[in-house]
Amino acid sequence: MTVLIATLYLLATIDATLSGYSAAAGRSALIRKGPHYRKAMLRGFVLGQIAAAVSLSLVVAVMNVVPDRTAFRADLALVWMRMLHVYLPFALTILTAFAFRAIPSVDVRCLTSTLVFGPLAGIRPLVGMAGLVWGILAAPRPEIVAGGSAILLLWLSLEGFLGFSYRPKESV
Amino acid sequence: MNDVEISDEILSFDPDTLQRLPVRKSAVLEKFRSNRRAARIVRAMADRDDVLDPDAVDRRLIRVHCEMQRISEEFQHGQRVAELLHPVLQALRATGVVRPIRIVDVGCGTGFVLRWLAAHGDLGGDVELIGADYHPALIGEAMRLAKLEDLRVTFRVANAFRLDPPGSMYLSTGVIHHFRGEALPAFFRSHDREETKAFVHFDFLPSPMAPFGSWLFHAVRMRDPLAKHDGVVSAIRAYSGAELIRAAGDGAPGFLRAMYSTRLGILPIPRAFHALVGLRPEYREAFVRALGARRSRLGDWA
Repeated sequence: MTVLIATLYLLATIDATLSGYSAAAGRSALIRKGPHYRKAMLRGFVLGQIAAAVSLSLVVAVMNVVPDRTAFRADLALVWMRMLHVYLPFALTILTAFAFRAIPSVDVRCLTSTLVFGPLAGIRPLVGMAGLVWGILAAPRPEIVAGGSAILLLWLSLEGFLGFSYRPKESV
Repeated sequence: MNDVEISDEILSFDPDTLQRLPVRKSAVLEKFRSNRRAARIVRAMADRDDVLDPDAVDRRLIRVHCEMQRISEEFQHGQRVAELLHPVLQALRATGVVRPIRIVDVGCGTGFVLRWLAAHGDLGGDVELIGADYHPALIGEAMRLAKLEDLRVTFRVANAFRLDPPGSMYLSTGVIHHFRGEALPAFFRSHDREETKAFVHFDFLPSPMAPFGSWLFHAVRMRDPLAKHDGVVSAIRAYSGAELIRAAGDGAPGFLRAMYSTRLGILPIPRAFHALVGLRPEYREAFVRALGARRSRLGDWA
């Protein structure tokens, strides 16, 4: 259970940090944008910690009200494990593309965008939903469906939240 | 009107005086009568007595250019341009071109390419970078950004081909597909001056995958509906290499022309951009030599 929680937390933290980057992209027309992106990723990381705390609190709260706590824990572990079947390959593909992105070649870097970053950014919400549905199918309890959907919605809306602070500015 | 960019229609300048002309919203809407998506975007734009609010248009276009820059950065466009400019510059220097070598970016917008080259291009102290565009707001933004980062680049509200002295070479990105019909050879005709030794024009490479790829990236990366619309239209109406070579031959026969970078090595994967390279004949040999391993990316000369 601890390993599952730690793995999901790690993936969620990476996702939130990259959401910070994504929310900041296209907002600054400067050439040297290191500080801009560092600040944005830190904001994503921090908001991710808050979202993780909210998510964990929700899980603990539900766990405290369900009558069959032991069975619920077992179901939850099964659901989380199956969610990782979807989320881990997705995350590993992204991280592998980052490794290729480090190669100083225009062609290789463009390929990482056309083949990985662009398409996967497009299907990210679907992957989020697919992971949840795949997990829930193993233990379709109303508490897990409702809680899981709420938590997924929270994570998918992070980039939107992070983007709010940029909206009044025309450019930096 | 499904292949017309909104940004082309909401702006109008007198080509001689460069004075901004009022644009009637109803006239633009009429042009987009058969393109409901574009019409919806235009309808939402601010106007005063049916004339599009120029300040709102300017703010919008600056924001759109900022989003476009994101895609240019993701696709390494600054580096791509630098990698082609270096051999061109080597060829010009080897053949004793007059210094400074003036590189003029035609329709530079907010000047991403030149600002990137000034920051990272390492082109040499004998190179002068000049961006020209009709749009004062975009040029103002380009100047502001260059000043913020202390970059050695000049921006002018001007017709790039009427600068005095003229460019030693002309450069553009995503501009040539805006010239339709007879305007395209006329565009190349403007290059044909004694002082001008080369040109390099980058644009989207048309391919069966280009419309989908462009749609995907604009859907995923862009926020502004205008940017999403125009980005996809740009890819759809981009010229093929053969069309560019032909038009450049008609307009500027004093230059040798070749397409650069159309395929990804030996793979049958098209690139997102290709470039039309134009050179005075006396620079060809030095240019090809300076390309080194990249010479396989160069198509046949016309």
